[in-house]
Amino acid sequence: MYIETKDLKKSYGEGGSYVQVLKGVSIKIDKGELCVIQGTSGSGKSTLLNCIGGLDGIDSGDVSVAGTLIRGLKGERLSDYRRANLGFIFQFYNLVPNLTVRENIQVCEYLTNDPLDIDELIGVLGLTEHQYKFPSQLSGGQQQRCAIARALVKNPKVLLCDEPTGALDSKTSRDILVLLEKINRQYGTTMLIVTHNNSIKNMVDHVIYLKDGEIYKDYYNETKVPAAELEDL
Amino acid sequence: MGWILFKRAVRDLKAGWARYLALSILIIFSLFIVISLMGASVTVMDCTEISDRQLNREDGEFSVFVPLRNDELTKLNDKGVTVERMFYADYAVNETKVLRAFKVRESINKVGLIDGRMPEKDDEAVIERRYSEVNDIKVGSRITLGGIEFTVTGIGAVPDYNNMIKKVSDSVVDSKSFGLVFITSDAYDKLYASGASLSSEEYYYAYILGSQMSEEELKNTLEDIEFKVSDVDDKYFKEYWDRMTGKKDDLLDAVEKLNDGAKELSDGAKELSDGTNEFHDGMHDLKKSVPDLKKGIKSLDDGAAEFEKGIKEYTNGVGKVATGASSLSKGAKTLAKGTKQLNSGAKQFGTGMDAYARTVGSMTKSENPYVAGVAKEMDGSTKQLASGYKQINSGVSGVNSGASSLSKGAGQLYDGIKKLNSIGATLRSGVSSLHKGTTELRKGANKFADGIEKLYDGSAELKNGAKELADGAKEYADGMQEFADETKDFVNEYFDIKSSNLMLFMNHSENPRVGAAADDVQITYTASIIFGVLLVMLFAYVISVFIVHMIDQESAVIGALYSMGVKRRTLTLSYVAVPVIVAFISGVIGTVLAVLTPAGIPAQLQDSLSYYSMPEVTIKVTPFILIYGLVIPPVTAFIVNVLVIRKRLRKTPLALLRNEQKAVRGKDLKIKGLKFISMFRLRQMIRELRAGLTVILGMFMSLLVALMAINTFVYCSRVKDFYVSQTKYEYMYNYKYPTEEIPEGGYEAVAESLRKEIYGYTFDVMMLGITKDNPFFETGDLPDNDTDVVLSSAVAVKYNLKTGDEFTLKDGNGGRLYAFKVAKIIDYSATLAVFMDIDRCRDLFGEDDKYYNVVFSDHALDIDSGRLYSTVTKSDIEKSAGIYVDMMGPMITVMSTASAVIFAVVMYLMVKMMIDRSTFNISLVKIFGFRNREVRKMYLDGNFITVALGALVVIPLCKIIMDYIYPRYLVSNVGVGISPSYPPELFVAIFLVIIGLYLVINFVLTGRLKKINPAVVLKNRE
Repeated sequence: MYIETKDLKKSYGEGGSYVQVLKGVSIKIDKGELCVIQGTSGSGKSTLLNCIGGLDGIDSGDVSVAGTLIRGLKGERLSDYRRANLGFIFQFYNLVPNLTVRENIQVCEYLTNDPLDIDELIGVLGLTEHQYKFPSQLSGGQQQRCAIARALVKNPKVLLCDEPTGALDSKTSRDILVLLEKINRQYGTTMLIVTHNNSIKNMVDHVIYLKDGEIYKDYYNETKVPAAELEDL
Repeated sequence: MGWILFKRAVRDLKAGWARYLALSILIIFSLFIVISLMGASVTVMDCTEISDRQLNREDGEFSVFVPLRNDELTKLNDKGVTVERMFYADYAVNETKVLRAFKVRESINKVGLIDGRMPEKDDEAVIERRYSEVNDIKVGSRITLGGIEFTVTGIGAVPDYNNMIKKVSDSVVDSKSFGLVFITSDAYDKLYASGASLSSEEYYYAYILGSQMSEEELKNTLEDIEFKVSDVDDKYFKEYWDRMTGKKDDLLDAVEKLNDGAKELSDGAKELSDGTNEFHDGMHDLKKSVPDLKKGIKSLDDGAAEFEKGIKEYTNGVGKVATGASSLSKGAKTLAKGTKQLNSGAKQFGTGMDAYARTVGSMTKSENPYVAGVAKEMDGSTKQLASGYKQINSGVSGVNSGASSLSKGAGQLYDGIKKLNSIGATLRSGVSSLHKGTTELRKGANKFADGIEKLYDGSAELKNGAKELADGAKEYADGMQEFADETKDFVNEYFDIKSSNLMLFMNHSENPRVGAAADDVQITYTASIIFGVLLVMLFAYVISVFIVHMIDQESAVIGALYSMGVKRRTLTLSYVAVPVIVAFISGVIGTVLAVLTPAGIPAQLQDSLSYYSMPEVTIKVTPFILIYGLVIPPVTAFIVNVLVIRKRLRKTPLALLRNEQKAVRGKDLKIKGLKFISMFRLRQMIRELRAGLTVILGMFMSLLVALMAINTFVYCSRVKDFYVSQTKYEYMYNYKYPTEEIPEGGYEAVAESLRKEIYGYTFDVMMLGITKDNPFFETGDLPDNDTDVVLSSAVAVKYNLKTGDEFTLKDGNGGRLYAFKVAKIIDYSATLAVFMDIDRCRDLFGEDDKYYNVVFSDHALDIDSGRLYSTVTKSDIEKSAGIYVDMMGPMITVMSTASAVIFAVVMYLMVKMMIDRSTFNISLVKIFGFRNREVRKMYLDGNFITVALGALVVIPLCKIIMDYIYPRYLVSNVGVGISPSYPPELFVAIFLVIIGLYLVINFVLTGRLKKINPAVVLKNRE
């Protein structure tokens, strides 16, 4: 398995405020798979994503990504793990406000010795005409595309997307999903998308549904629909 | 990535250009000042070192009573010591200006020409730089000294008068009225011969040690050199010498007599002791014989009684004898009659015998043999009978004669006995008296014996006393001998100042005239380095507050970048880039401005050049200064910002993504009993603690600078005011050869220059013995013991002494320490002076009871200048006192302004940032319906409290720090003891200035508060 968690447990707080967010989650995702993690608010989907991305520690269990066991990694080694394997896309883009689109992408270009061609990437993401604009000059969709480009430029093995369309309107959301689908196809990037949007599950290979910190459903989508055809986004 | 994020930094700079420009200007200004000061300091130090080397600055100097002889100089030269005469005499240029004339130096302390050339003719002169500048004397100008006119051929400076003080003990330079002139040897002699000098010629020598002789050895050698009085031709000296040496001889004679007296006393005591010993022995014998005496007297008395008795019996006997004698006389007469009859019978018997004999004779012839035989038998007995008859006849005759004599004698005996009888009566009466006498004698003898007993005891005590006396007298004599020896040594040593030629010995480091500018700027240099770093740190910290604010705003972005694998180091570098860039650019500009513009190093150099007599100065910029100006600011900014933001960037990517805030400061603080706005304001203050502390830090730094300026202002102002107000005399005459009589109208005093070190600098402290009636010093009753003294406030402040403290002063050559106790401190700042009673002062320094060497007066006295070392007038003091204010005025203005600007900018930026950070919240509370006035109370008025409370803490704190720094580092080389303490109103004024500045800034920022549009803010937030 390319991404695998075994009996992953994660909790927050102590005493009266103790909350166990993940209660022994075990999942397996293949390389190049387009996977969505769904669940209601507080189900633990973002926590699971963060644990896989090494952004959050785990209490017990194991997480392995592309053969790398995350548990025990700290500091620089954790950074190296993320640098070598992961790309992140966030709901609120998190672009460097005083860098242009191109420069925001270039920030991550240096993180790998084998970056994607930035011009091509900008072209693929439809940012060519916006590449010298600052984030504040872009729409939400354009900013998210920029964020995607920034995540992709270092050619990550896994793209972790946390509510990538959460802040976007329906049309823009579809555009972004189409783009992600395209990238998955074009670059073979394994993608893990956390969303509460129920429609997105229709475009992915693998659906994991979390409820109260446990796997509620884990299935492969046999009736995959192209992103462009998704409804009710 | 680096250059990409660098772009971000550049854009951030552009976005916050006003803020960074303000900070940059402050850094530029600070570095400009600091680099200027450092450059000027280094230039002064470097030029001093170079010129000292080129001009052969002395290793030290000494002065002598009479010029050294050639053989003495040769002796020093043979030991590798180079010695050159630096003789001088002072000449009045006019009533207010004095020039000290020297011969042109040949090998030591040579004149460093700044303009023109050295004098070649007897009417040419080189003028010292500062005097020429202040008095506008140029090459070609003409000056007149002692009636001789000189043409100025050059302007120059010498290493031994770098600090142009007239006397070594002076604290202020007044180049307007005092300078140096260098003329040819012949011109010098001619000028001095004119008699126009203000005082007698001073015999100073400069020396450079070789490798053979140490400074101590040179000093010892010089101390051993004595001078011949005959070598001195100064009439005042001769008169003084005769007076003083006469006293020496008197003193030595007196000591000798005292010693002889002690010896005689000892001998006398010894004899007395011996005498008392003998007396005691005699008493002992006497005591021993008293019982015999008593016995004898008793016997005598008894004998007298017996005698009296015998005499009685005798007289009775004599009476009886007289009776007997009478009878005897009668018997003798009878006997005489009987003997006459006997004689007649004897004659008849003789006749019969003759007849018988003849018969017998004739019978013998008878023929009858019977008859003849019988006759023969009868003849023999007849012959015997005849012979017996003859004898009887003779005896009868004798008896007759004896009877006659007996009769006569008996008569005489009778007469004698009669007389004896009458004498016996007298004798009896006498013996009776004798007996009475012996009885009395006996009684007296008993008393005598008691007296002898007591006398004996007394004699024993007397003997012991005499022994102790003798021992004491011996010890006294021995002590007296020692005293005499010591006194002789002391007197010889004391009067040695007159016989030893050496008067003063001072190495260059002790000489306040030498290297003073370099010493002075050394402090500036060190202070600049420290203050520069502190200021850059302050500004870097201010920038870091903005960076922290930026990091908080960009938290999610940073988290996102971390998520991608961007490392903390990379991001840290990107965030410190701004402060580093600002600091670097500002450093470069500040350094360039300082180095290349006239307002930089050259302007700061003027502080030294306008006070010290410097040789030709070439601006020197050392690599260190360049490194300091170009490297220290960015490095400091880097370090400060890394330290500040490191913690923020250490958060986990997730924490950053979620923009998790550290627990709000003071969230647990229970605030009760306050109205909502007050409570909110308090929480806002706690929330903005960092910015508040930065404001206080800025206040602290700027106040340090401000207080340095204010301290300097207070210090200089007090020098100006106190020197004048506390100087009560008009004239102070310092004698070289005092007259026997004190000039009329003058108050004599004894002044001895002692030395005391503090903070690495040694200053002259004047020990001033004054009379009780001296009206110029308000000392009150002077202590009447040997150790207690009254301190001038100058000494008390300079040396941190208070009443009851003990302290020591050392003499000029450092050979003797004097210990004193502070009895009282009086307000007198004009001189580092210690007061004591004049008689005690005389005793202390071994002077006679009429000695004085200073005279104070409230009017000019008629004193021959040849007798004086110098004359100090109140107007001199007034002039010199104002120099500090004139000199330091520009610096005070610059520093005060700079501190106010620093404080205002820091406060403005911080308060503005606080408002910026709260913009969203302000919008919210505005939406809730709070009025601007209430919003101001909630968000701005807390700053007032922060500033006010901060000022209340920081002002005294800075004052304490500055009061610690100021005497130790900023005026440690100045021989002035004045407290830069502030009157309370000055503290209030400083506080009000701070509050005033705040209110101005508050007023400006209140406008910004009003301009906040909630809708725009909320939209932007969204």
